[in-house]
Amino acid sequence: MLHNIKDNYITSVNNYIKNFDDKSFRKLAGKDFKSWPDPLEETWRLSRLGSLSRKKIEPISLDAQEPIMSKLNVVGSNTIKFINGAFRKDMSSNLPKGVSLIELNESESVTFLSKIKNSNLKNHPSANASLSCTPSIVKLSVDKNAKIEELLEIHFEGGVESSSVHPVLFVELNENSSLSIIERFNHTGSLIMPLQLIEIKDYASLNSIKVFDDSHESYNLAAHCIIMSHKSLLNSFSLIKGSQFTRSETHAYLNGTNAKLNLNGVYISGNKQHHDLTTAIYHNVEECISKQIVRGVLGGESTGVFQGKVKVAPNAQKTDGQQMSKAILISDKASANAKPELEIYADDVVCAHGATVGELDDDQLFYLNSRGISKDKARLILIKAFLLDIISESVEETLHDFIFNEAQSALSSILKNEIEEFV
Amino acid sequence: MSLLEIKNACLKLDNKNILNGVSLSINSGEVHAIMGPNGSGKSTLSYMLSGRDGYELESGEILLDGQSLSDMSADERARSGLFLAFQYPVELPGVGAMSFLREAVNSRRKFIGQEEFDHLAFVKEARKEASKMFVKDEMLKRAVNVGFSGGEKKKFEILQMAMLKPKVSILDETDSGLDVDALKIVSDGVNAQRSDDNAIVVITHYQRLLDYIVPDFVHILSEGVIIKSGGPELALEVEKNGYAGMINAA
Repeated sequence: MLHNIKDNYITSVNNYIKNFDDKSFRKLAGKDFKSWPDPLEETWRLSRLGSLSRKKIEPISLDAQEPIMSKLNVVGSNTIKFINGAFRKDMSSNLPKGVSLIELNESESVTFLSKIKNSNLKNHPSANASLSCTPSIVKLSVDKNAKIEELLEIHFEGGVESSSVHPVLFVELNENSSLSIIERFNHTGSLIMPLQLIEIKDYASLNSIKVFDDSHESYNLAAHCIIMSHKSLLNSFSLIKGSQFTRSETHAYLNGTNAKLNLNGVYISGNKQHHDLTTAIYHNVEECISKQIVRGVLGGESTGVFQGKVKVAPNAQKTDGQQMSKAILISDKASANAKPELEIYADDVVCAHGATVGELDDDQLFYLNSRGISKDKARLILIKAFLLDIISESVEETLHDFIFNEAQSALSSILKNEIEEFV
Repeated sequence: MSLLEIKNACLKLDNKNILNGVSLSINSGEVHAIMGPNGSGKSTLSYMLSGRDGYELESGEILLDGQSLSDMSADERARSGLFLAFQYPVELPGVGAMSFLREAVNSRRKFIGQEEFDHLAFVKEARKEASKMFVKDEMLKRAVNVGFSGGEKKKFEILQMAMLKPKVSILDETDSGLDVDALKIVSDGVNAQRSDDNAIVVITHYQRLLDYIVPDFVHILSEGVIIKSGGPELALEVEKNGYAGMINAA
């Protein structure tokens, strides 16, 4: 029999949970972990895990060696650290008033598990593997009516070769609260399987930025479940730049009227990187708004995927769902796939989607050239402009420079190969 | 010596002859107008001169200040002192007008061995030139041509011309989309650039623009050749009798 992750990894996960009590949430999760995504499954067709399946990977042991600390420049006021998937209170700063961070006990973990199991993440490998193997489920909660001014920064770091890490985070915004967080994924391991549940209660609002910048040999299979209530707001922006393979999958449930979701993302891919933003937005009640803008810049032999589904339930009248994805290919060998999908069962809705994959615009390039700006420089100017637009729109002003610099560093490394006189 | 010399320029697009032997000699200090009906090859001529990909000469030669342009790309030609004011200036979302201008001006200055502007010095210079063109500061903070009115776009073209100080400027239908007031501002801007060291080629359908930018010479382009050349009076003749009579006579 061939040894591959499908067999080995599931066996490793099952071995890992043997030591736990039969009633443990880990065992409940582990019993559902029977198969690995098959390339024939529609949602994994464009992001195949073939090369991952050739690696031998085991869940990271809790006494794994701590990595040398990264030199992430902190932009937030408070830092929360997850190392090797485990929350490290000793390395995290104190939290502002109104915010609490706890590790869930057994019964709370079972409740958490049932919420994930009730969502369409139930068969996601990160849901099953991470609920089985996480050191603990960590809950970040904002009190009712608390408006947190400080930016919370969460670092996910660590990782060991041939190991998988399993940070599981529950973000809960109670009624009428607000919070801004920036999460940064900077692992060095083989397989990163972050699992998150984000619950935004009535009138609460969350600004969320995620930067995926794991090391070049890593696979990141992030899975997010978002549940939104009446008049809640989520502004979410993801930048995917690192890793060999990152797929960020998000399922957002708009369960309260007048909820508003902005789910934007940028991926910058080079060499043989594969980046995937997969989203599903479920308009379950009336008068909710969801907007999505996704942009990709692809060089080298990289591939990009955007899969976006918007499902409007029969009673979700007056839904406004917009989705637009654009990818620019700057090398002949790069490719991008976009699969927007609308499933509408209500009759009074405004929904639109569009997807383009192309090269830079000839007229714009010529206009710049005709002003003495070289071809390479002109391409660079247009690529930056392509991203600057969406970054300014999606990110709070105080973080523009930070995100733009993060994007710029990724662009520099992919453009070096494409543009001779890169500046 | 001519500042711009076009020798027997022939060009095909999609296997169709568009320019069929255009010859023109333009000296320093001169303003030439090229007039012609739709489809006569006016815009092709401007793209060919500025070096757009796909508009390479089939035969013939162009010399800018004695130097052949044949092997030079559009950006090299621009840095060497050729400027094209677009009929339809292109929008560049996300590219700030000020940084675009600075990039362009510094490319040219570097090429001709002048010191590049630093940010502050450039902003000062740009504002000074902009105010002459009645271009508001606020416009320079926007993305290039995005949300500009027709008049603003053309003013911005001429502002670029003023700042780049080209040897030869080609103004392609600069009057299109302008109301009378904007036409006057734009024309004044162009006239302010006229000097003994440069030359201007005005490409236009109508005589109207030539009331404001008075040319030294007028050429009539038809089916890719210059069929008649003369002084400003030629433009008046076109205005009076149309192109048809002139083309038939040729």
